[in-house]
Amino acid sequence: MYGKGLRALSVTTALVMSGAIALVFFWAPEDADQGFAQKIFYVHVPMAIVALCGFVAGGLMAIAHLRTRDSRWDMRSYVAIHLSIILGVGVLLTGSIWARVSWGHWWVWNEPTLVSFLIIFLLYCTYQPLRFSIQDPERQARYASVFAIMAGAFVPLNFIAVRLAQQYTHPRVLGNISGNLPGKMEWTFFASMLGMTLLFVTLWKYEMTSKHASSQLRRLKRLLGEEGQSTGRRSAAPAPRQRATQV
Amino acid sequence: MSSAPQDGPPAGPSQGGPPARASQGGPAAGPPPGGPGAGASRRGPSTGTAVLAILRKEVRVELRTLESVPAMCLFSVTTFVLFHFALDRDSVNGDLASGILWVTLLFSGVLAINRLFVADEEQGGFDGFLLAPVDRSALLIAKFLTLLGFLVVLEIVAVPAFGLLLLEPSVGRVVLRLIGILLLADVGIAAVGTLVAALAVRTRARDLLGPLLALPLLVPVVIGGARACAPLFAAGHPASVPVRWLETLGLYDLVFGLLAYAVFDFLLED
Amino acid sequence: MPAIPLHTAVSYVAGAYLVFFALVLIYVAIMASKLSRIETELSELTELAIKERENRDPAPTGGPKTDPAPTGGPKTDPTEAGGPKPEAVAR
Repeated sequence: MYGKGLRALSVTTALVMSGAIALVFFWAPEDADQGFAQKIFYVHVPMAIVALCGFVAGGLMAIAHLRTRDSRWDMRSYVAIHLSIILGVGVLLTGSIWARVSWGHWWVWNEPTLVSFLIIFLLYCTYQPLRFSIQDPERQARYASVFAIMAGAFVPLNFIAVRLAQQYTHPRVLGNISGNLPGKMEWTFFASMLGMTLLFVTLWKYEMTSKHASSQLRRLKRLLGEEGQSTGRRSAAPAPRQRATQV
Repeated sequence: MSSAPQDGPPAGPSQGGPPARASQGGPAAGPPPGGPGAGASRRGPSTGTAVLAILRKEVRVELRTLESVPAMCLFSVTTFVLFHFALDRDSVNGDLASGILWVTLLFSGVLAINRLFVADEEQGGFDGFLLAPVDRSALLIAKFLTLLGFLVVLEIVAVPAFGLLLLEPSVGRVVLRLIGILLLADVGIAAVGTLVAALAVRTRARDLLGPLLALPLLVPVVIGGARACAPLFAAGHPASVPVRWLETLGLYDLVFGLLAYAVFDFLLED
Repeated sequence: MPAIPLHTAVSYVAGAYLVFFALVLIYVAIMASKLSRIETELSELTELAIKERENRDPAPTGGPKTDPAPTGGPKTDPTEAGGPKPEAVAR
């Protein structure tokens, strides 16, 4: 069951996130250079890091799926990637706002993290259409896993490549990511990272619970001998096969 | 598939269960279950023979139908013409030249990627191959070499055309270095292209998904290739190529080559 | 780089955090609609189960047995013999 412990997890997430936001606005000092606008950093960067880890985690789960042929791994992989895509939208929007504040334009090319994120986002946008265009569920899951592995391996490569490309032509704006932060800012950053990670895990569990419930419902329908009750909607979401759904 | 003998029993992995090949390569993969003894335990030709057989078929088909390669070459030359009008420039050098060349090569390559597995899919070549008692990676390697060959032929046509139509400094003085960079990048394009082609061909929206998948994945190749070539096309004296771009391309080739090898089998099971 | 005046900075920062919250809330809304769909389907299934049970044993001792616990129905069905179970798998 995915729902077990979900309540405790969400409460923890709510507490940590509220704490983190409180730290951001009431405790962390203002940046000397960028002023108050630097606070965007505390929401933009954790989202980006968590989204990227989500993509890589989706790839790892896809490897597990291909090795064990257990469709639950495919569902987990799908949800992780799906959530990371949503976070990715947030990353691009907040990144754009930050660019506007820092540089006056709604998009800048000299921030390699943002740029490589755009490329990765464009790649993962094909994930759902890919799933959608394969009817057979087993093949859909398999192909989606292949894609998730490829794309997951691509994430670090892309970062390296884009960073190298920008490094010698443009100065980095986000130079503070790798720990050049003064004490209080660093703690605040860690708090926001923790909050964001917890949020991701909570939402992941949340969606897994919902998917699991729907699949149980479908199984129930079949057990009750209902025919012709096909849900007219086709979804790109994976449909787990009929096994003992013990988690 | 006229050359591969079809009499043996179907290859083991087609019965389901994780194929022995699956866990090779790939940074997170565990130890391979039963060693990759491909040719020894099975009846049937070795991988090398199979690869050559498929390769011969591919070349023969291409020579007969003239499908991919002339289209790629024509497309690239047309694109150069388009660039001339779009940029309103008679000649380009440096960064701009490098960028134009690479984008054109990439888009022309995508044409080939789109067509790579189409004939197999439409005419049952996949099934025929699966029944043959050969290692499945043979198809991957053969298609990879085919795509690589197509890209090389494309470049033989496109680069001189580029030199003729748009490039300001002459290509001749930097030919060797250019060839090296092109080959290094081609390996990466071919690896990713083969994998993406196999993935896309059996979906419904194959013409759309192919480029959509391939182009973001090939961004590092564009970065590495374009940045590496830019000093070669510099107006006046060609500068030296920074090694880091070659390293990037090399790393990319390695990672995606191994990944393609590890993962390709899963696309064929059906 | 000179610091941006506070009032414009605040609006941008607020915008960024707003984007974040909006995303989370949109996600919650989508999950909420899924949940309500599950609820309707579950109630439909319960009705169906009740009807099937009525059809199978039309007990003379009374009218329709309303089964308040929805989990009771589906468990008993597979064990009843003769229940048609066409596996019309609509995927």
